[in-house]
Amino acid sequence: MSILYVLIPLALLLLGGAVWAFFWAVGSGQFDDLDTPAVRIIMDDDKKPPEKPEL
Amino acid sequence: MSAGACFHCALPVDRVDQFQVEIDGELKSVCCPGCKAVAELIRDTGMSSYYAMREDPQPGIGRPPEDAAEWQIYDRDDMLQAFADAIDSRAEATIYVGGMYCAACGWLIETTLAKVPGIASVDVNPVTHRVRIHWHTADLGLGRILALLADLGYDPQPLAPESAARPEIAEQRTALKRMLVASLGMMQVMMFAVGLYAGDFQGMDADMQRFLRLVSFIVTTPVVFYSARPFFAGAWRGIVSRMPGMDLPVSIAVSTAYIGSVYATLTNGPAVWFDSVVMFVFFLTLGRFLEMRARHRSIDRSTALSTVLPNTVTRVDGDEQLTIPASQLLSGDVVLVRPGESIPADGVLIDGQTTVDEALLTGEAEPRPKSTGDALVAGSVNLDGIVTMRVEKTGSDTTLGTISRMSERARYARPAFVQLADRVASYIVVAILLVAVLVGTYWYFAAPDRAFVITLSVLVVTCPCALALATPAAFAAAGTRLSELHLLVTNGNAIEALSRSTRILFDKTGTLTRGLPVIVSTQIFDDAFNEMQCLRIASALETVSTHPIATAFTMTENEIVADGQRVATGDGVAGTIAGQRWRLGRQEFVSSTIMDAVDQDKSTSVYLGTAGHLVARFDLDDEIRPGADKTLAQLSQLGLQLALVSGDNKEPVRRVASALHIEDCHSGCTPEDKLAIIRSAQEAGETVTMVGDGINDAPVLAGADASVAPVHGALLAQTSADIILLGDALEPVATGILLARKTMRIVKQNIAWAIVYNATALPLAAMGYVPPWAAAIGMSASSLIVVLNALRLSRYGAP
Repeated sequence: MSILYVLIPLALLLLGGAVWAFFWAVGSGQFDDLDTPAVRIIMDDDKKPPEKPEL
Repeated sequence: MSAGACFHCALPVDRVDQFQVEIDGELKSVCCPGCKAVAELIRDTGMSSYYAMREDPQPGIGRPPEDAAEWQIYDRDDMLQAFADAIDSRAEATIYVGGMYCAACGWLIETTLAKVPGIASVDVNPVTHRVRIHWHTADLGLGRILALLADLGYDPQPLAPESAARPEIAEQRTALKRMLVASLGMMQVMMFAVGLYAGDFQGMDADMQRFLRLVSFIVTTPVVFYSARPFFAGAWRGIVSRMPGMDLPVSIAVSTAYIGSVYATLTNGPAVWFDSVVMFVFFLTLGRFLEMRARHRSIDRSTALSTVLPNTVTRVDGDEQLTIPASQLLSGDVVLVRPGESIPADGVLIDGQTTVDEALLTGEAEPRPKSTGDALVAGSVNLDGIVTMRVEKTGSDTTLGTISRMSERARYARPAFVQLADRVASYIVVAILLVAVLVGTYWYFAAPDRAFVITLSVLVVTCPCALALATPAAFAAAGTRLSELHLLVTNGNAIEALSRSTRILFDKTGTLTRGLPVIVSTQIFDDAFNEMQCLRIASALETVSTHPIATAFTMTENEIVADGQRVATGDGVAGTIAGQRWRLGRQEFVSSTIMDAVDQDKSTSVYLGTAGHLVARFDLDDEIRPGADKTLAQLSQLGLQLALVSGDNKEPVRRVASALHIEDCHSGCTPEDKLAIIRSAQEAGETVTMVGDGINDAPVLAGADASVAPVHGALLAQTSADIILLGDALEPVATGILLARKTMRIVKQNIAWAIVYNATALPLAAMGYVPPWAAAIGMSASSLIVVLNALRLSRYGAP
């Protein structure tokens, strides 16, 4: 059981890493829009434009 | 009458073959050249899957305006300064995009703009209707970007940087972080707790127990000090203002359990309750997060209010006309307002005459005639004349700004049901603390070694967690379900008021009716014409008019063409058909001699005539919203008293009332009258729900116990309403009341359960029969039962 004395602190380190990564992601605005990403996956511009658009 | 709906904007199409677009090998009919151009642009840029992905549009959404706005103006430097943050050759601007209604629109805008050279990045948020763009000013100007958005059929409005700042994004980010810390912490601590509980049964190495408690302590600490901080702050505010809220018992429960656990960890005490602490904090944070999201959706609607005002105005300096950003407008400036433009500020009309549409402010569709000396209100729309006005008040000093501020205040100063529950909870907390002290004192003398353990058990087992969760959990679940049922709850108290409602008041225009006039009857005075001919002539004449009445005459197919049409402001239109001069409008305008005895109280009548004699009379009225009768019947079945209050004339109000079987109807009501009706009903002990959509309904909505505003009504009404009705049907109102009643039943069940649980657990714990770990399980289980019971609401009405 003494392996737990190593594994649990290791798990806590990973937890800290996960929290840090999430804070970074939130701070960079990745979670500002919580509605669009859910539907974005079904929209993909796989259709090729018929001609070069003059935009 | 119609040949189907426009493929792009869903408005009725005149002739199938009039305007067509080939999309994915199929010919689609569209309603106008504008829609054709937009659909072709979308196709040619390879975005045609937009049509497959989007939600069904409301008719008219996405249709480009007939006269393209002058976007080049925004390429100027002073415009760039006013609407963008420009540093060197890069600029950033936030643009409000009207007509963006679903995620597919966001995708369309993002992908289209991202392809444009010079645009560095595009961030689209379909929920807030905003697009944030970074671009290189050397390659293209702001005007070009706006023109691109307009080409896609949207209505772009650049936002000044101060109105583009969104504190709610910062709030959401913080809330997300707090929730994540609480949820990850909960998972970890629960895992350690399983080990600890198993150890209690099977026996555990004392060192391992200490270790597990220590790591639980390490993980719980940030949850308490970071995730639960808003509750401590709220509790402190409650104490300072002597209005203790729900946050106080929550804070006491969290801090007692935490401090007790820390003490037990340090002194090798019998049990720790870190698991209960983190679970409690997580559920509360989750509830607050969902509540905040609903609130933000309503903020988005109220900030859209600023887009009612024009961004640019034409200032008259002597003989010179200058286009300037509206934010630079000062009191005393003279500005020119063209037909179709909205009035930029409060002021006085100094030259010209026109009619203005004040529907945004008053909610009534009838345009008001204005001539020299009349007051003009910011946000109303100039319909048909070119006028100059002298600006008196700008920005937040305008009537629009004042009403907006007032309803904001009314929102925050509401008597709250939740506050009552909070007070009850805080009494209970005080009672629990007293009991704990008594129990502790007794055991201190009876059996000093057991005193602390038993006191802690009492504190934990009676922790009002279930009680504290009983109301918010049910409200959060109900709020989520209501939004799925097309009712967006922006004020949680409304659910309680809705469930108690005994009387429901409806506004007429735009609520029970669609707010668009239709012809209800036609009377022919000249036998040489039949009804169809008269309609065709009228329709041909009205093609030039921007007046709302003209929509009643819109025909899908008309072989009669009028020319030389002229709009006589406030009177009607005139035009030539087959060499003959026709007039359509007020009786005095059409005929030199009064022939038809009009009942002033009657609905709006429009006359058609030629050469000074009357040919026909069209009686116009507002079309009743489809399904309104069914909803109202359902509401009265639920035992609600129905009433109709409207600022409109007696006759149309009576007609709507009788069509919908409403006995209690009031016409010609000012907002004060409406408020008085509500007040007198409230004094008689009734709970009143108001359903209305006009801006002048805002104080009325705020005065009612619960208020509902349709999403397509005035924006200001929505900001003061508790519930926003999404979509076109009234039906959710009835479903909402049923769900609200069910919610309150569940709240009562939850509270009853929490009280029964506490009442049985307290004596047992006080007598020393409950070990702290059982107390913790009991508390967690009772909270869980409350949450699960509340979650039943989220399936309400689902098959």
